Amino acid sequence: MTTTLHLDGLTEDALTARSGEGGEPDWLRDRRLAAFKRSLDQRWPDSRQDEFWRSTPFDRRISVDREIVQGGAARAPGGIGDDADAPVVVANIVDGALTDVTVPSGVADLGVVVTDLAEAAQTHRGLVEAHLGSLTTSDPDGTGAGSDRTITVNDAAWTAGVFVHVPAEVEVDTPIHVRIHATEAGAHLPRVLAVVDHHATARLVFEHTSADDVDALVDEVVEVIAHDAAKVEIATLQRWANTVQHLALQKVQAHRDASVRHLSVTIGGATVRLLPEFDLVGPGAEVRPLGVYFADEGQWFDLQPYVRHIAPHASSDVLFKGALQGNSQTVFRGNIFVHADAVGTSTDENNRSLILTKGARADSTPFLEIECADITAGHGSATGQIDALHLFYLQSRGIDRDDALRLIVFGFFREVLAEGRIPGIEDAALADIAARVEAADLGSVQVNDAALQDHT
Amino acid sequence: MADLEIRDLHVEADGTELLHGVDLDLDKGTTLALMGPNGSGKSTLAYSIAGHPAYDITKGTITWKGEPIQELLPDERARLGVFLAMQYPVEVPGVSLTNFLRTAVNAVNEEDVPVREFMTRLRSEMSQLGVDESFLQRSVNEGFSGGEKKRFEILQAALLRPELAVLDETDSGLDVDALKIVAEGVNRLKGPDLGVLIITHYTRILRYIQPDQVHVMFEGRIVASGGPELADELEEHGYENIKDLKASV
Ligand SMILES: Nc1ncnc2c1ncn2[C@@H]1O[C@H](COP(=O)(O)OP(=O)(O)OP(=O)(O)O)[C@@H](O)[C@H]1O
Ligand SMILES: [Mg+2]
Repeated sequence: MTTTLHLDGLTEDALTARSGEGGEPDWLRDRRLAAFKRSLDQRWPDSRQDEFWRSTPFDRRISVDREIVQGGAARAPGGIGDDADAPVVVANIVDGALTDVTVPSGVADLGVVVTDLAEAAQTHRGLVEAHLGSLTTSDPDGTGAGSDRTITVNDAAWTAGVFVHVPAEVEVDTPIHVRIHATEAGAHLPRVLAVVDHHATARLVFEHTSADDVDALVDEVVEVIAHDAAKVEIATLQRWANTVQHLALQKVQAHRDASVRHLSVTIGGATVRLLPEFDLVGPGAEVRPLGVYFADEGQWFDLQPYVRHIAPHASSDVLFKGALQGNSQTVFRGNIFVHADAVGTSTDENNRSLILTKGARADSTPFLEIECADITAGHGSATGQIDALHLFYLQSRGIDRDDALRLIVFGFFREVLAEGRIPGIEDAALADIAARVEAADLGSVQVNDAALQDHT
Repeated sequence: MADLEIRDLHVEADGTELLHGVDLDLDKGTTLALMGPNGSGKSTLAYSIAGHPAYDITKGTITWKGEPIQELLPDERARLGVFLAMQYPVEVPGVSLTNFLRTAVNAVNEEDVPVREFMTRLRSEMSQLGVDESFLQRSVNEGFSGGEKKRFEILQAALLRPELAVLDETDSGLDVDALKIVAEGVNRLKGPDLGVLIITHYTRILRYIQPDQVHVMFEGRIVASGGPELADELEEHGYENIKDLKASV
């Protein structure tokens, strides 16, 4: 018998009962209850007041009056990497429960751990207790924004968790896929903690999929600790049906000389609000937050990469590119914060939007908040349409308009995708984009002929 | 009737008439040179043949292989064998050169050339034109030097095997060695099935690619025509005598 939990009506009793049913240690239960108490002091976001929610109208796009889904009968769907030459690591979260984890023996032999987070709270207590919630609101000393109830409720009530540990100096090329799949209506609260020790490398892939038309809210929190000189490649693919609401905080802490690349590919979902956040806490750390997105009729994507330069001599380079068609809305709200002590910071932040048809809206604000003078920083943002000259050039070589448009749209994204280093991700992203372009009414694509007048 | 027949062509851009009644005949198997001072309308004519959307044909006809083509889309013209090597090739960010070339070749041949066969052909044409293999990884014209762009235009011609090649100042921006390589590339394409229209300011390319005829354009009209010696004359004396030439038409 599983105690039911309601996202908008959590109680101490229900959370305590649930934690007990899950066989969780007391310290974890207490963490959950502490988070719950904090959530009582918080309200759901108010888009008129909360700075970070201004870009998405919470009451119109997100509904929290939902029961929390804690497992069901559906099976894991499979995904990227199933056809790879070497088997990949897979952890399946289906309808709010971790259903299975597969770790190829070659990977396990290296000492790599991929397991149920609730179990790891006992078996790997030291690591889990030290890091779980250290990047969100549940730890008062954490660097999290601390006030967003959508994150606090995950701290309190997450139901399906994955713990990843890559020991020091272990280099795992085999990607670790966490597949989050929703078939049941309700709130899904997945949680992931990954600790990559010093001089280790890891590749993490988050695949988000759902059944058609499912009315689900997925409220996800991922924490990644990249210790000294660790190399971490992360890819997250939002491939939901266009009914799903998805809130995700994917937060990375980068220590000395750690190098992190994060690529988000957002194609599906009714509303997706993605927060790829990076705390650069060690000198020499570097992060490359990348994003591609393609919004279609009715979709609303809110992308908020946030980089905090806390240590000196770290670097960050943010690049997000999105295409839009139909009545869709995208928001890019990039934030770069440079602490007064972060001398020698180098940072750049760019967003490009390609508006394909009338009715689509792209808002873009790359913010810089700089407390330190001794740095180099740049930022840029541009929104445009397909360039008539590009189209003419391709057509003049015999390529018809539709094919030329496809090439140009793929080209727009290639700059970002070509950087990805996890096998299969670029292909999957391009396939998703291709499907979008295929379904598009290319006849209605608007072309910018301003360039035609510039005849020199 | 000539394979390419242009009659009384009037072309406007941005509301201004740039060509005021151009007549031109070009047969496959022959080479024409078109010369004329800056701004005389040479590129306008070239773009009009290719179907550039900025140029409106307000009067007259362009007939290719017996068919009027001035209403056709650029890609339809290309599939009929028309090719324009542009004076200023366009950078198309992110579009992979290999992908672009393969799509173009398939479109023009109206069949799917198998990838391996295509790559073999591409590599061989590239090496003949001295284009490094690393370009396969690049985006169309993006960051290419002026000379690299010109070579790439001819590489495309070599792959697409047009029946009409308009070369708009393909020679400019090329050093002597590159000019020779590019001219040899054009000469390899030449034959009874290819008509060439070379637009240039200099005779140096014409020493490699012999024109059968030279036309001179001035202020949107063809004002003089003659044999290859006309090109030498122009290079020596410039266009100062153009008024006289005009009178002699
Ligand atoms: N898109 C355009 N809109 C307005 N005017 C144009 C446009 N394109 C060309 N022109 C004008 O038409 C005239 C002819 O230009 P064109 O490019 O055809 O000359 P050209 O003979 O090729 O010159 P060059 O030898 O310098 O290449 C010029 O005065 C030019 O400024
Ligand atoms: Mg010109």
